[in-house]
Amino acid sequence: MSITTSDQGRPDAGAKQSGVRGAWWIVAEREITTRVHEKSYVYSALFMLVAVVATVVLTSVLGGRPTDHTVAVAVTDADAAAVVASASRVVDRTDDGSSATAKEFASPKEAEQAVEDGDADAALIASHDGYEVVGDSEVDGTLSSALATVASAAALEGNARAQDVDLEQLQRGAAVTERLLDPESEDAGARSLVATVFVILFYLTAVTFGMSIAQSVVQEKESRIVEILAAAVPIRAMLWGKIAGNTVLALGQILVLAVAGIASMAAVGETGLLSAIGPAVAWYVLFFVLGFVALAGLWAVAGSLASRTQDLGSTTMPGQVLLFAPYLIAIVAGEGIKTVVSMLPIVSAMLMPSRMAEGGVPAWQVGTALVVNVIGAVLIVRFAARLYERTLMRTERRIGFGEALRLSD
Amino acid sequence: MLDISALSRAYDGTLVVDGVTFRVEPGRMTGFVGANGAGKTTTMRMILGVLAPTSGEVLWDGEPITTAQRRHIGYMPEERGLYPRMKILDQLVFLARLHGVDRAAAARRATDLLEHFDLADRAGDVLDTLSLGNQQRVQIAAALIHRPDALVLDEPFSGLDPLAVDAMAGLLAKEAGDKPLLFSSHQLDLVERLCDDLVILSHGKVVAAGAVDELRGRGPERYRVVLDGDGDDAAWIRGIGGVEVRDVDGPTAVVDLAGLSASALLSALVATSPVREFSAVRQPLSDIFREVIR
Repeated sequence: MSITTSDQGRPDAGAKQSGVRGAWWIVAEREITTRVHEKSYVYSALFMLVAVVATVVLTSVLGGRPTDHTVAVAVTDADAAAVVASASRVVDRTDDGSSATAKEFASPKEAEQAVEDGDADAALIASHDGYEVVGDSEVDGTLSSALATVASAAALEGNARAQDVDLEQLQRGAAVTERLLDPESEDAGARSLVATVFVILFYLTAVTFGMSIAQSVVQEKESRIVEILAAAVPIRAMLWGKIAGNTVLALGQILVLAVAGIASMAAVGETGLLSAIGPAVAWYVLFFVLGFVALAGLWAVAGSLASRTQDLGSTTMPGQVLLFAPYLIAIVAGEGIKTVVSMLPIVSAMLMPSRMAEGGVPAWQVGTALVVNVIGAVLIVRFAARLYERTLMRTERRIGFGEALRLSD
Repeated sequence: MLDISALSRAYDGTLVVDGVTFRVEPGRMTGFVGANGAGKTTTMRMILGVLAPTSGEVLWDGEPITTAQRRHIGYMPEERGLYPRMKILDQLVFLARLHGVDRAAAARRATDLLEHFDLADRAGDVLDTLSLGNQQRVQIAAALIHRPDALVLDEPFSGLDPLAVDAMAGLLAKEAGDKPLLFSSHQLDLVERLCDDLVILSHGKVVAAGAVDELRGRGPERYRVVLDGDGDDAAWIRGIGGVEVRDVDGPTAVVDLAGLSASALLSALVATSPVREFSAVRQPLSDIFREVIR
């Protein structure tokens, strides 16, 4: 067999040079295609997807899920049906879509039977001095008080009219309205749960793809292909390629998780939570990208300091700590510390959006965090690139961070 | 044309490559030999630019070599390296693209090279699953994938059986064509058979460089003499002036000319004893090697 010696397809010198300039993208492409073909990657992504959907569904089930109450009334009692209709507006006081519907039965006895059979949540039956709310083993508190309030108000109105009393006069000074000082904290429990879940998922995603950068670098050192690569493209092109490829993967995963989270919130009807959390999710994605890029350089350095995969445990420690710290702070620290830390580079990537999900973050703090992150990312990546260039070709043993700093170029 | 000019590299103050100067001519295979630790690999890494020289430079057609020109060198490092878990066709295409070859051309070229090595049916297999010999073939393919302007190969033949060596040598001769080709090897017989030029390195210094024939000619003319006399002892040849007798074994002697011409030596021999054999001895490269690194 022979080798065709035609020069067909061989670019001229100029084209070759431009090809080298685009080398980072070829490196990035390999990072991406290699990774998405790995089973471990697919499984971990699926796991996180399930975790997000499960969290949203559980939050919704455990939290105030809209309930449609069915109240059995006797067909002869038109007043009772009117009371249930009014009560429906009361049970939906929190705008969560709850309602109460009257279901008519031939007699009070049949209405009671419907409750016993589970066909109705409660029955509203006229008694000798008003109404009786009949439940099976218990009656939903909200429904019960709604029915009681409406029924007594209706009775009061009827009595007042019968005795020719001015109802408005009678009720003067008795009106009690509700005003919330912090309306956003209404579903604080759900919001803080969602915030925590996001912090954990972002932490996991950042560690997964950070480690993937470090592994990809050390595997090239271990297999010695790094020498061929370094002879083919500038070392920096390899670094940019790895950062770009893994950032695309991490961002892709985060976007899928965010979309899955929003879609499942919409699906279970958590529109209130969605409108409160939605913008925070968008911020999460933005901060995540900035934080990930900033840290990506350090992950690559962790790989280039190691000489074997086993060395990664120690060389990736700084990266792991930088990621774990905000995770820990987000969970245990007080407000003051959280506020300051949420404006520092890298660590803010998780803390700031998580604070925003909880609500009440001044705009200037968000702006500061963004600017600090962008500057931090640029400085850290440039610093990391220098360490990476110095250490990548040293394959014989593990190098410490301090030693790498002292190395000359 | 590739010129290595006064290249030096120090590690912790010790010179491992010391003022190395030689030329790799286009269209000629240049063998790079030397004992372990002589500095061959360090020199090659400096040629490729993966290691910075302490001093000296590498010239391409007389000018200091540029990064872009370096990228056109086909390189096979001493420590073999490819992605163990990547399909062989994929990694050849990847490496070609890094060198600026477009994807379609890279795929054609990779397929051609794999066919040459009878590995076409393994194109979709990951490197790990190939035998060591086949991995070595893929490694060579990786060095040739971008149709380099020059080849620098560190021990390209190590680990290959004799048939594979022949196939590889044939391919290299064809691929190198009129381009400079430098390869290092421990197998002196192989270097002798394949190379046009030779560079011998010892303790970081070039101790001999030039055309193989010229290096051989540098030593004294050597003749093997077998006498056909009664005594069967050639020891008396030591008495002839203008020659240096290297070895005597019964009627056989190995003689270096030292002033005397070959015909004068023959005349002196036949004047004393019948001669059954008188032949010029081509010095094996290993002798030259031993002499110059001594």
